[in-house]
Amino acid sequence: MIRRLFLFAWVALALVGGFLWAPPVAGLGATTRVLYLHIPCAWVAVLALAWSMVHSILYLRTRRLGHDDHAAAGVGLGLLFGLAATVSGSVWAEARWGSWWNWDPRETTIVLLLLVYGAYLALRGAVEGEERRARLAAVYAVPAFVTVPFLVFVLPRRYDTLHPSPIVPQAGAAAGMDPRVWVCFLAMLVGFTGLFLWMESLEARLRRREREAATESSPRA
Amino acid sequence: MRTVWAILRRECRGEWRTRHGLGAALLFALASLVGVSFVVGPLGDRPDLLAALLWIVLLFAALASLAHAFVREVEAGTLTLLRLVASPTAIALGKLLFNLLFLGVLELVTVPVFLVLMGAPAVRWGPFLLVLGLGSLALAATTTLVGAVVAQTRARGALFAAVALPLLIVVLIAGVAGLRAQWEGASVAGEARLLAAYAAVVLGVSLPLFDHVWED
Repeated sequence: MIRRLFLFAWVALALVGGFLWAPPVAGLGATTRVLYLHIPCAWVAVLALAWSMVHSILYLRTRRLGHDDHAAAGVGLGLLFGLAATVSGSVWAEARWGSWWNWDPRETTIVLLLLVYGAYLALRGAVEGEERRARLAAVYAVPAFVTVPFLVFVLPRRYDTLHPSPIVPQAGAAAGMDPRVWVCFLAMLVGFTGLFLWMESLEARLRRREREAATESSPRA
Repeated sequence: MRTVWAILRRECRGEWRTRHGLGAALLFALASLVGVSFVVGPLGDRPDLLAALLWIVLLFAALASLAHAFVREVEAGTLTLLRLVASPTAIALGKLLFNLLFLGVLELVTVPVFLVLMGAPAVRWGPFLLVLGLGSLALAATTTLVGAVVAQTRARGALFAAVALPLLIVVLIAGVAGLRAQWEGASVAGEARLLAAYAAVVLGVSLPLFDHVWED
């Protein structure tokens, strides 16, 4: 309870700080503020999908269904945060580029990423039996994550994108950024990571309870 | 290695006896090709469209047919026997080679017809075959793994295309860019590297995964 309150206070403070305390970055103007939500969302999406792949491999090694709960929760949250990153990016694109959506390589690749993991959920829905579902989903999750570096790092670099360099802005721009922007940005990054860990544990626990409830109500022969 | 070869021969013999897999794929490819070329006509001056249409025809023909390799085993109930005599890796490699061969035959018929019907400009065969070959390798590597997974689910046919296509978009993008560069006289080295890297990574992660695909 204390930790949750602390997390909420942390994110709220960082967000308010980003809007009121930190000055806008030169050249970005008021759209600087999207940065505090957009980049943490994109970061958490990649983190959640990596988390899911790690738990998929752990499931294949140990065959504990708990890992499958974590893997599925990771994909669900990856899709949620990926969608949030897409929407916040679209808002930013409207403000900066003058159009909500113009198939910039980075816009394209995040949609493809959402499709890849949408297919993961479709696959889970089509398999009978929890052991088999967990196993096949884990087998799919590994090559699915292989596409992530290609989609996030390789393709946008090969095909000209207008999108600012990911993860950390270009060195030149970064040097000129106000330290207050950095403080708020990093605080949001940490806060969103905490938010992810909390939501992930909730989701995984929910999945475990559902699984237990299902086995209790219909014991297998 | 000998097992892989035996599985490939067995696949080919099985396919040759019935021929419905290859026949259906060829018919599908040719029908979509005729439809496309009738609707949009010769596109000799638009290499970008040519490249995209060729890959889409090939990709769809592949998606309509490549699940076959494993679905057939599951439907005939022969997968258990196959697993008794061969290791998962050998089965995977055998099926992969078969899928690759299948794609090769498909392309051997489809690509010339496409080039003629669409009025394509002269092809630089070296870069063209390099991009096509590496793209086919990446396509076969991905569809073999997805086919093995999807064969064990309900609604296999519909699910196969839905699950495989998102994974193949990278191949599609790089393949289209490569063929386009080939027609426009540019270098295809970047796209070839991208396709080769994708194929290598998918192969590298999928071979160990085959140990886990079949268990019950």
